[in-house]
Amino acid sequence: MSVKTFAAIDVGSYELAMKIFEVSKVRGMREIDHIRHSIDMGTETYTKGKLSHERVDELCRVLREFADIMKSYQAADYVAYGTSAIRECENRSILLNQIELRTGIRIHVLSNSEQRFLDYKSIAFQGEGFLKTIENGTAILDIGGGSIQISLFDNDTLVSTQNMKLGVLRIQESLNQLGVSLRHYDRLVEEMLESQMNVYKKLYLKDRQIKSIIIVDDYLSNLVKHKMVNGELSGYVDKKRMEYFLEICHTKTLTELAKALDTPEENMPHLYIALQLVKSIMDDMGADQLWVPGVTLCDGIAYEYAEKNKIITSAHDFEKDIIACAQNISKRYRGSKKRSETLEKIALTIFDSMKKVHGLGKRERLLLQLSTILHDCGKYISMVNLGECSYSIIMATEIIGLSHMEREIVANVVKYNHMEFDYYGEKGSLSTLDEDAYLKIAKLTAILRLANGLDRTHKQKFRNIKIALKDETLMITVDTEADITLEKGLFGARARFFQEVYNIKPVIRKKRVL
Amino acid sequence: MGKLGYESPENYSNRELSWVLFNKRVLSEARDKNNPLFERLKFLSITASNLDEFFMVRVASLKDMVNAKYTKPDIAGMTPTEQLSALNEVTHELVNKQYMVYNRSLIPQLEANGLRVIARHEDLTEKEAAYVDEYYEENVYPVLTPMAVDSSRPFPLIRNKTLNIGALVKKKDGDGELEFATVQVPSVLSRVVQIHTKNPLNPEEKAVILLEEVIERNIHKLFMNYDIVCAHPFRIMRNADLTIEEDEAEDLLKEIEKQLKKRQWGQAIRLEVEEGIDKRLLKILVEDLHVRQEDIYRIDGPLDLTFLMKMYGLPGFDHLKEKAYAGPQPVPELPEGCDIFEQIRKQDLLLFHPYETFRPVVDFIRQAAVDPDVLAIKQTLYRVSGNSPIIAALAQAAENGKQVSVLVELKARFDEENNIVWAKKLEKAGCHVIYGLVGLKTHSKITLVVRREEDGIRRYVHLGTGNYNDATAKLYTDVGLLTCAPYIGEDATAVFNMLSGYSEPLSWNKLSLAPLWLKDRFLALIGREKENALAGKEGHIIAKINSLCDKDVIEALYEAGAAGVKIELIIRGICCLKTGLPGIGDNITVRSIVGNFLEHSRIFYFENGGRPEYYCASADWMPRNLERRVEIMFPVERPELQKKLMTILNMQLRDTVKAHILTPEGKYEKVDRRGKGYFNSQLEFCNMALEAARQQELLVNNRIFIPEMHHEE
Repeated sequence: MSVKTFAAIDVGSYELAMKIFEVSKVRGMREIDHIRHSIDMGTETYTKGKLSHERVDELCRVLREFADIMKSYQAADYVAYGTSAIRECENRSILLNQIELRTGIRIHVLSNSEQRFLDYKSIAFQGEGFLKTIENGTAILDIGGGSIQISLFDNDTLVSTQNMKLGVLRIQESLNQLGVSLRHYDRLVEEMLESQMNVYKKLYLKDRQIKSIIIVDDYLSNLVKHKMVNGELSGYVDKKRMEYFLEICHTKTLTELAKALDTPEENMPHLYIALQLVKSIMDDMGADQLWVPGVTLCDGIAYEYAEKNKIITSAHDFEKDIIACAQNISKRYRGSKKRSETLEKIALTIFDSMKKVHGLGKRERLLLQLSTILHDCGKYISMVNLGECSYSIIMATEIIGLSHMEREIVANVVKYNHMEFDYYGEKGSLSTLDEDAYLKIAKLTAILRLANGLDRTHKQKFRNIKIALKDETLMITVDTEADITLEKGLFGARARFFQEVYNIKPVIRKKRVL
Repeated sequence: MGKLGYESPENYSNRELSWVLFNKRVLSEARDKNNPLFERLKFLSITASNLDEFFMVRVASLKDMVNAKYTKPDIAGMTPTEQLSALNEVTHELVNKQYMVYNRSLIPQLEANGLRVIARHEDLTEKEAAYVDEYYEENVYPVLTPMAVDSSRPFPLIRNKTLNIGALVKKKDGDGELEFATVQVPSVLSRVVQIHTKNPLNPEEKAVILLEEVIERNIHKLFMNYDIVCAHPFRIMRNADLTIEEDEAEDLLKEIEKQLKKRQWGQAIRLEVEEGIDKRLLKILVEDLHVRQEDIYRIDGPLDLTFLMKMYGLPGFDHLKEKAYAGPQPVPELPEGCDIFEQIRKQDLLLFHPYETFRPVVDFIRQAAVDPDVLAIKQTLYRVSGNSPIIAALAQAAENGKQVSVLVELKARFDEENNIVWAKKLEKAGCHVIYGLVGLKTHSKITLVVRREEDGIRRYVHLGTGNYNDATAKLYTDVGLLTCAPYIGEDATAVFNMLSGYSEPLSWNKLSLAPLWLKDRFLALIGREKENALAGKEGHIIAKINSLCDKDVIEALYEAGAAGVKIELIIRGICCLKTGLPGIGDNITVRSIVGNFLEHSRIFYFENGGRPEYYCASADWMPRNLERRVEIMFPVERPELQKKLMTILNMQLRDTVKAHILTPEGKYEKVDRRGKGYFNSQLEFCNMALEAARQQELLVNNRIFIPEMHHEE
């Protein structure tokens, strides 16, 4: 049977959810079951840093039930991801190990950007609707409890993503402290948003024309899908309808509204804040259309799984998004595009010709590529402390689609491109990483350094090179008429580290042009 | 137009009084000479058991309210005290009518048909008396437990609903002081004792006497040293409305078991005694049982008429029983031995019980239990029959390694004991058993079979209006839908997730659930008809239900009716809605069908501006259904099945034999048959099912000639 059953588990801050999917090459993905259990882990983690015993017991009990349900569907595989409530647990490793021993379910922790990337992927896999929407300027607004995330598209590629601490629950908490009534929510939410949006507009949005906003959230999705659009399941809402809807919200009492929307009354303030957020951002960006595909993290997990296992392919190139993101960061810090491109070309050529030696894969190649793009971002702050500054910038900037570890790798590769390498176990920052990551950093750093050495003068003399691995030698053949004395001279120091890492000696040869 | 003002209490009937009217309609079937004699016995027996339950639940609850000084008026503006006093009058009248039917119609008729019911043991012939005495010695005496009361022995526990003989006795060598003694008429023995001696004058005649008469005749043998001053049967009814504090109960199961034992200790709310009972004896009973004067029922005849159901079972009287109604017929689309899943894949199927057999539903679970491709079976069970084949199939499925989840509703009234046994049995077999939901009764009838097929998982769902009870499915009219439509399957999965304690789904496709959404859905559907009528379109609602007493729904119906919506209600039992209100007139009509089968299906038709919608549900329009129970309403969308439902509704609306019409005066009257002919809808449904099965048979065996014959069972 070519139909596989797969379980996606989302260990969220306020809810445990599992979706059972059927995945097949022919029919794609089909949701079979969606099981949700409300459990407030966020409050405990955020305030105390740990989960109470009772909470852990409850978590394990439900996960065991999930495991039983998986079994009953004969699920072939599962992926369980934990988000901020687990991520921010102080004793995370102990907790995760305990959960695995008690339930048999291994939970992986997602970084914010990974989580957002999954949300994004699940939207992208909506296919047609997505591709059509991003043809014009589009922003994805991912509304969470603690923060919101705005991601921008430019010419169907994701170019930037920014997190703002303006989540629905956070806003509500602030409003509660102020003791304001619901009547004033709209004005206050707008004001709270305004200051941050002004900065955002100046720095990131600039003169981009945003036509549509795609919403991912737990507040509006259901409402929009089933109430605002009169049962049409497409999930598109225009500005007029949105305003009309807000108008209804203003004129009806909470109880009336809750009844009309089949929503528990206590959820209404959240809904209200989310609506106001969307409305304000729509106004700020000048967008006139909303698309609410109604996807959840579980969908993203399943898409990721199906993609990894080559069960389905997306028409959208996600790597391109990640690269575009990095390029955008580089641009913001006035990185040299030309130099990056040369560096990228050289480094990737070396990487490709050394496949057998370094044993790294496609993902690491992407990390190397990102390192070349971001290699000089720190210059914006200091030309002397280039390494440290670049490291800090990369670690402080979200690159959608990268896990925390991957970001760490990129930041370190860029750092050690400029600085003395710290060996593992020595008193250096690398000791906090695991050995696997450390080795990747070393290998990629060696390549980047070599590539950097070949373009020492920043004149892109080595634009046309051929690289071939012959026994213990890496032959770098340059097709240039320029003088490469400086490169050859400075090459030695960089080659040494390369040789140390790979036990291969790089040699430069100039192809004589007759 | 302004506020219509239909909310005022005079626009509503009291539900208890309306229930008594329903029981009177059942009684009228016992009185109806067109019914076969033994069927009339059955109807009379039903009115008696109905009344018993009514006392134990409804009257008891009113008494509780009075005791608790609760004075909130009901939908019709009556306080509990007012309701009790009104009820007192009508129930006494009802009981009198019961015995009028019994004494004046049935007993003489029975005698004329060769069954002599010996009312008093004094009337026994010598030979018969000898037979009875021997029967007493051999069968009765060993199981009797006589109890006497004196200063050293307290008044004994008289068990709820049991029949007892109370006696005043006097010590043979004593000072003439009267003592009270009592003996329970054992429930292990049949109440109806057939006397197997031949009447020389009429050898074909059969004679029966009631067990209490046999005991009374021999009661002196129980109290050897006493003289019997008098002996009379009596029976008490106790408060049985158990309100379980679910939030406090550690373990629901244990709590119910405990409550069951407690039940017989409840307050006495009714005392039935023989009409000519000795005053001194009655005084003792009344004082020791703390019975109020108005709760005493002096009975002109044998107490507890439910014995008539036993009498119905006497052999040799088949010619006096109903034969016009054919038994359950095979469903044309589901011939015996077919692959049910395959048939469901072809099309949605609507079963109409008891005219069509319940067998496919049992087979649905049976086949699922042994089908290697079935992954899981989930079902809600409310009331199951003894020895239920469904329980057996579920247990087998669990043993076959399928994931079986069953929600067994322990709170099904008077059925708890039964249900606990099943629940334990299922657990033993490896099923995952959920013992109901805290604070809610699960009344929905839904089964989900998850099957792994070539092209992925497919879900098969059965949704019904009646319980998964193969025994009552032969007596109750119900409809059930078999479907594998993905959107219903998704909803069904969500239902069971919710019943397992998980959050509600983000959205529902087709099903509406109580207590969360169903009531609003009904109000919206009724409201839509009203809007359509106001907009000049045709508004039409047909609803077939068992009871209507939800005020919000009635008000919505009133408003729709006032707006010009034609509302035809077919309500078997309680109806708190009044007809003929000013501004509504005959836009709203109510009819009740009480016939051979118990009308139980709930079917709803909404005109929807020319795009009619059809629904079936497990819920009535009662607050308890809509607010305190898990109920499911499902749409029927396949045009052929809609047609089938419309036929059912239309035929019931055409019924001129078993239908009563609710008049503006609040009375139920039989349909005026002039110009309408004789139309018995239940009988016609039988004939339809028979014809459909016959056509199918012709189709299958089309090479064989089938002679036209008179059809019997």
